[in-house]
Amino acid sequence: MSDEPASASETDTSAVADMIGIWAPRGNEVRVVAGTAIILGLFPFVFARMPVLSGLLQGYQSLATLILIWGIFALGFDLLLGYTGLLSFGHAAFWGGAAYAAGVFSQQVSGSPILMVAAGTAFAVLLAWLLGFLSLRRGGIYFAILTLAFAQMLFYMSSSPLASITGGENGFTGVETAELFGIFGLESDLPAVLGLLLGTWLYLFVAIITLLCVALAYRILNSPYGMVFRAIRENEQRAEFVGLNVWRYRLMSFILSGFFAGVAGSLFVIHGSYVPLASLYWTTSGEVVIMTVLGGTGSLFGPIVGAGVYLYVENIVSGGHPFDFIAPFWHLILGLVFVVTIWVFPRGIWGFVRDVRDLVTGGED
Amino acid sequence: MALLETENLVKEFGGLVATDDVNLTVEEDERVSIIGPNGAGKSTLINLITRRLDPTSGDIRFKGESIVDRDPHEVVQMGVSKSFQTASIFTNLTVRENAEIAALAAEHGSFGFKFLEHHDSLTGVHEVARDTLDAVGLLSQADRTASELPYGDKRRLEIGIALAAEPDLLLMDEPTAGMSPEETEATVDLVEEVKQELGLTFVLIEHDMEIVFSISDRIVVLNRGRVIAEGTPDEIRGDPEVQEAYLGGVDL
Repeated sequence: MSDEPASASETDTSAVADMIGIWAPRGNEVRVVAGTAIILGLFPFVFARMPVLSGLLQGYQSLATLILIWGIFALGFDLLLGYTGLLSFGHAAFWGGAAYAAGVFSQQVSGSPILMVAAGTAFAVLLAWLLGFLSLRRGGIYFAILTLAFAQMLFYMSSSPLASITGGENGFTGVETAELFGIFGLESDLPAVLGLLLGTWLYLFVAIITLLCVALAYRILNSPYGMVFRAIRENEQRAEFVGLNVWRYRLMSFILSGFFAGVAGSLFVIHGSYVPLASLYWTTSGEVVIMTVLGGTGSLFGPIVGAGVYLYVENIVSGGHPFDFIAPFWHLILGLVFVVTIWVFPRGIWGFVRDVRDLVTGGED
Repeated sequence: MALLETENLVKEFGGLVATDDVNLTVEEDERVSIIGPNGAGKSTLINLITRRLDPTSGDIRFKGESIVDRDPHEVVQMGVSKSFQTASIFTNLTVRENAEIAALAAEHGSFGFKFLEHHDSLTGVHEVARDTLDAVGLLSQADRTASELPYGDKRRLEIGIALAAEPDLLLMDEPTAGMSPEETEATVDLVEEVKQELGLTFVLIEHDMEIVFSISDRIVVLNRGRVIAEGTPDEIRGDPEVQEAYLGGVDL
C-alpha cells in the first residue's frame, strides 16, 4: 500500500504528458529555438543599423528579410539533399509555384499574409506530391534530370500557355498584400525599440515563420523520420531489407522539402509584391543547391548561413562593396567563394564552424 | 506447415539457369545450410527468397502465403530477415542507431507518419535495440560510429541489424566470409547462442565446412542450380555424389 501515492503521481505525470502529447519540447529543442530566436532578433540590427559594423557590412533591412526567406528554402532543401541523399534539380517548381499561387490568391481571394502563405504552401505540397511521385521512380542522376524537366515544363507553361494568369514574361504583377491581421502594414516600422532591433513588421512576420520552420525541421530531424532519412542516404538497400518502405519515405522527404520551399516562395511574393518568371527557371533550382552545399549539407543551420553568404555576394558585393572595381565580377567572386569553401571545408561553412567548436570544446557538445 | 517452401523455383539469366527447379522446405525451428561450389546458385536462391530477384517461374511460400508478388520490405515485415555477405550497415551512424533503425521497422511497420514525434518517446524501439546489441556483444560500443568498428564487429553488427528486425526466419549469406579465424570462431559462437536463446529458424549459406557440419540440422547441396543432395550432416558427409561433385572426392 505504501507505494500507492507514488504510482498515483506517476499516472498524473503521464496524463499531463499525454495531454501535451507530441507538442511538448524534448531534448535540446528549447535551447535550439531560443538560440535561433535571439539570433533572428539581433540579425537585422547588426546587419542594417548597428553603428560601425553595419557600415562595414553595408547591409540593409530588405536584404535581411530576403536572407531568411531563402534560408527557409535551403533548410527544406537540405532535408532532401543532406539527409535523404537525393539531389533535386527542380525545386524552382515549388518555390515559383508557391509564389504564383500565393500571388494569384492575394488578387482573387484574400490578401491576408497568413492566408497567402497557407495557400502557396498548400499548392507547393500538392505539386511536390505529384512531381515526387513521378520523379522518384528513378534514382541518382535520372531523378535529378526528371525533376529538372518537370520544373522547366512549369516554367514554359507559365511563360506562355498560362500567360493570362501568370503574366507571362512580365511576371505576375497583381499581388495585393493586405495588412497583417487587418491592422499592421507589413512595410511600416515596428514601434519603439522593436523598430530599432527588427525594423519592419514584414521582418517580424518572416522571422516568426522562420523560427517555426527551424523548430519544425529540428523536430523532424529528431523524429523517426530523421533516422530513416539518414539510413536511406547511408545504405538504401539495407534500409529496404530491414523492412522500411524506402520509396514512401523518400516521397515524404520530397514533400516535406516541398513544404518548406512553398513557405519560402509564398514569403518571397509578400516580400517583393511581384513574381518574376525567373522564379520558376532552372537557375533558381541551381541557386538553392549552391546555397545548401556552400553552407553545409546535413546540418540544420548550414543552409541558412549558405543562403546568407550567397545573397550577400549577389546583392552587396555586386554593388561594388568593399571595392568599386569588383562590382562587374561578382559572379566570379561567388564562384571563388564556392570553390574555396568546398576545397578547404568539404562540409561547407557550417562543417567548418562545427570543426572549430569541436577543437575548442575537445569534441564535446 | 512448413515455414518456408519453394516450389519448382526457376531463375534464368539469359540462357543461364541459375536456379533450376528447386523445391526447398524449411520447417519451423530448423537450421538448414545450403552449400555448393562457386556459381552453384546459392546467393541467387537467397536473393529470390528475399525478393531482390524475380523468379522466372515457380512459387515461394512463407507461412503458407505466396510472396512472389511482394516487395522486399514487405517480406521483411512478414518475418524474413537477411544478413548480407558483406557488412551491409549504416556506416556513418552510431552502432546504436544502426540497431534502432531495424527495431523501428520491426516495431512500427514499413512506413508511418510520425515525423512530429521525438524519437526519445519510442521506448519499445530503444529496448529492442539495446537487447539486440547486448545479444551480439556490441552494447559497450553503442555510441561509436559504425565505420570505426573492426571488420569482425561490423559483421556482428550486420547480424545484429538482421536480428533487431525480430525475424521468424533468418537468412545468413556467408556470415564468416572475410573473417580472421578468431572472428570466425566468435561468430560461430554467436550463431550457436542465437540458435539456443532465440530458437530462431535459419538458413545459412556457408563455405566453411566445419561451421556447416557443426551448426546445421539439415544440409542442402546445390550444384549448377539444382539440389543434388539433402540430408543430415552425417548423411551428406557420406554421400558419394556430394563428394564427387562438390568436395572433389576429398574424404571428410
